[in-house]
Amino acid sequence: MSTYVAFHGGTLVLRDVAEEERPPRPFRFVKGRWRCEAYHYGSILPYLQEEAIHNGVPRWKPLNLVMQDTREAHDYQLEALAAWDKAGRRGSIVLPTGAGKTFVALQAILRVNRSTVVIVPTIDLLHQWYARLMNAFACEVGFYYGSEKKIFSQGESGAFQIIPLTVTTYHSAGDLIAEHGNAFKLLICDEVHHLPAKTWGEAALMAPAPFRLGLTATYPEEQEQTGERWRLDELIGPIVYTQQLESLVGKQLAEYRTQRVRVDLTTEERVSYESLHKSYLGFVRERGLQRTHGAGWLRELMRLSTVDPIARRALLARRQLLNLLESCQGKFAALEVLLREHAGERILVFTESNAVAYAIARQYLVPVISHETGVVERKRILDAFQAGHYRVVVTSKVLNEGIDVPEAKVAIILGGGASKREYLQRLGRILRKKEPLQAVLIEVLVRNTIEEGKVQRRQVPREKR
Amino acid sequence: MLTSELIRPRLRIQGSILRVEMVNEQDPALQQIAQDLICLFQRHQGQSQAAWEEAVRAYEGANVDYVFIRGLAKVLMDAATFKPLTTPLPPATLREQVFAYGPVFEQPDIFHTATRQEVLREVAETLELSAGELDEILFADRGASYRLTDAGPTWTPSTLLARYNLELARGALYWASHITIGVASNYKDLWKYIKLFKLMFWAEPGQNGGYRIDLDGPISPFVSSTLRYGRQLAAFLPALLLCERWHMQAYVHPPQAPGGTLYRLDHTCSLRSHFKSSGMFDSRLEEDFASEFEQKMGEKRGHWRMIRESEVLLLGDTVMIPDFALVDDVDETRKILIELVGFWHPTYLRRKVEKVRAANCAHLLLLVYQGLNVTEEAFEGSASEVIFFQNKPVLKEVMETVEAMANRIYGPRPKRRRKKKTKSLE
Repeated sequence: MSTYVAFHGGTLVLRDVAEEERPPRPFRFVKGRWRCEAYHYGSILPYLQEEAIHNGVPRWKPLNLVMQDTREAHDYQLEALAAWDKAGRRGSIVLPTGAGKTFVALQAILRVNRSTVVIVPTIDLLHQWYARLMNAFACEVGFYYGSEKKIFSQGESGAFQIIPLTVTTYHSAGDLIAEHGNAFKLLICDEVHHLPAKTWGEAALMAPAPFRLGLTATYPEEQEQTGERWRLDELIGPIVYTQQLESLVGKQLAEYRTQRVRVDLTTEERVSYESLHKSYLGFVRERGLQRTHGAGWLRELMRLSTVDPIARRALLARRQLLNLLESCQGKFAALEVLLREHAGERILVFTESNAVAYAIARQYLVPVISHETGVVERKRILDAFQAGHYRVVVTSKVLNEGIDVPEAKVAIILGGGASKREYLQRLGRILRKKEPLQAVLIEVLVRNTIEEGKVQRRQVPREKR
Repeated sequence: MLTSELIRPRLRIQGSILRVEMVNEQDPALQQIAQDLICLFQRHQGQSQAAWEEAVRAYEGANVDYVFIRGLAKVLMDAATFKPLTTPLPPATLREQVFAYGPVFEQPDIFHTATRQEVLREVAETLELSAGELDEILFADRGASYRLTDAGPTWTPSTLLARYNLELARGALYWASHITIGVASNYKDLWKYIKLFKLMFWAEPGQNGGYRIDLDGPISPFVSSTLRYGRQLAAFLPALLLCERWHMQAYVHPPQAPGGTLYRLDHTCSLRSHFKSSGMFDSRLEEDFASEFEQKMGEKRGHWRMIRESEVLLLGDTVMIPDFALVDDVDETRKILIELVGFWHPTYLRRKVEKVRAANCAHLLLLVYQGLNVTEEAFEGSASEVIFFQNKPVLKEVMETVEAMANRIYGPRPKRRRKKKTKSLE
């Protein structure tokens, strides 16, 4: 029988190579066979050829894409690509935010012209990449995350094949790669600085893709990589290009102003608020949870709520209190006034919860984007919003990281629950603009409630970025 | 399976030992809760998932047992079917049509001349629906608005509590990196599920008979204590419960104790599997062969005893489990294995032939259906015996071959009935 190397669940396995034959590192003799992590594929190719071992690993295909995006590459983008080519198409490119990392990746895909998988940290980014890839190549793009998985398409012969251009999240990538890792020759890791984290690197470890591209604005320092399971250089390759063009940042950011609208609770709402507040924060203070458990105090409250009836009531009060603040009459009235006031403009409405986002969508008949919204519908909604077909889009927490909605000029945030990071990201959403139009961020808060305290604590500086 | 937040509060850690706080299936108070939820669920037949979830919240009230109540509710839901309402067009298309008019208000103004009701009515008309109907199906594709169409199996409080306990045990394995099991029966089902859940195994003969099996996944040797396969291990657990005598040791890294804990279970636990044990026989052919043997050779008519699938031939990363073992009454070390190769798909047959060659097993007898496109050469170089048959194996011929094989391998059969005799053979 002839010797053979196969891809198996993220590993490379030599078949019919006896224990005595001792193939080179990184192979290890485990459970009766010589095996290694699939990311070594590129480096063991010479060995396979020398020993004439039949290579059953690659299942990737030519892409034959045509670039529909007519934008020309900047010089620094071309330099970055040339450096990556020269390094054997392995390694990371470090560019500041807003410098067109996605564009660089599109060009890299075009050059390699073989099946590619893109891994991104968040579902928002997944949607964004999906849209960019569709727009750039006008071809089918696969997606694989949480509840939505579409990675097969029916070929002309009727057989199902892996879509050779697929986007996934770090969270789901492991399963995709374990099963179909050998279907991709180029692996692109967006925000590659996440990779050293405990489970996030597993996908890159299990992928045989010989070509790898990491993208980030902030490459982790050496010390940030130690103590983690794997090092970026090993999984992706070294940094091949760095550009810290400060001038790039800011150029694309528009002027903005923030505005706060304060509303009151009705008398009835106020009565319930005070009683819920007492039950909830009264308990937390009395037990000194914040003092004893620091940032983990809420988890401790949850733990207590499974054994202590008072803690349980405090936790319920917390939920009811947040519901009350989010759906109080004053907020809806203020929202309605704002929607009428900005009648001519594109408006994004942010809510804290799904329930309120859907309630607004139903009441005002405007599209909603939540984590339940599928890739295809989401792109259609955002495209229609950009085109002016929709004037208002309401969204729960999901639109949080780096999605471009350049036409949005007004953002309305219902509720002061957002953390500093979320707040900045929402700001960024309306700031990434084409024209120097003034954008407005309007926050609707309930007066004399915990919402005002949260806003105080946040203290976002007014500088850009 | 339960979500991890319904598992975590029920894990107890003492030193390096992990325990799962299970419920007493006989406790009348818990039985009552189970009964209430079963009735509540039945009453929600035809209603939306959101309505059911709301009802569970209301039932929970300020009860501190909410983790338990939600767990039961989840078990009920998982075994049931929720389906979307039928709509004349996909709901996303309906929304596109309706939202083209938004935002709308109760009081129209110069920019917003139509009210919500007018928009709904206008779009609904084109679809021959009423405004109310359109309103109802606008988000028919959200899980929350799916309707409960089939409430699943008929639960009793006891079966529901038992299943909840099983799900808790499974849940502990969400954080498992690998498990080690010892078993002495029901191999066929075990292997079937190990393969189904794409686990990797390494099996060795155990000390007291049976086998010791390590279970993890392909990447496990390279990523120490990866939790990648936790879900698969959890899914697999009920297969282990199908065995008669077994024990399991799981290496679990729950968030409360990331350093690692041991979770042990064995056949004395009261958990029951909901997986079906496969039937005695895989095919009619096997069944007929076994019954003919019993008729003609069973009881005291012969000196061979037939045992089903008792032997595992370990072949590296796969196994072969011959259909029958014939054991000599006088000397149990005299054993002939029989594998029936019936009407199989060619690929399956090729794998089977490869396995036979790999097993290189002299006391294996293959009974091969002649209609198969397989010739004697296929088995050349293997140590096993082959008999071809046309309609069914001829028992007489089979037994003659068995005797001949036994004589060849084990030497002449000892004449005397069994006693504490000196072993004449190695």
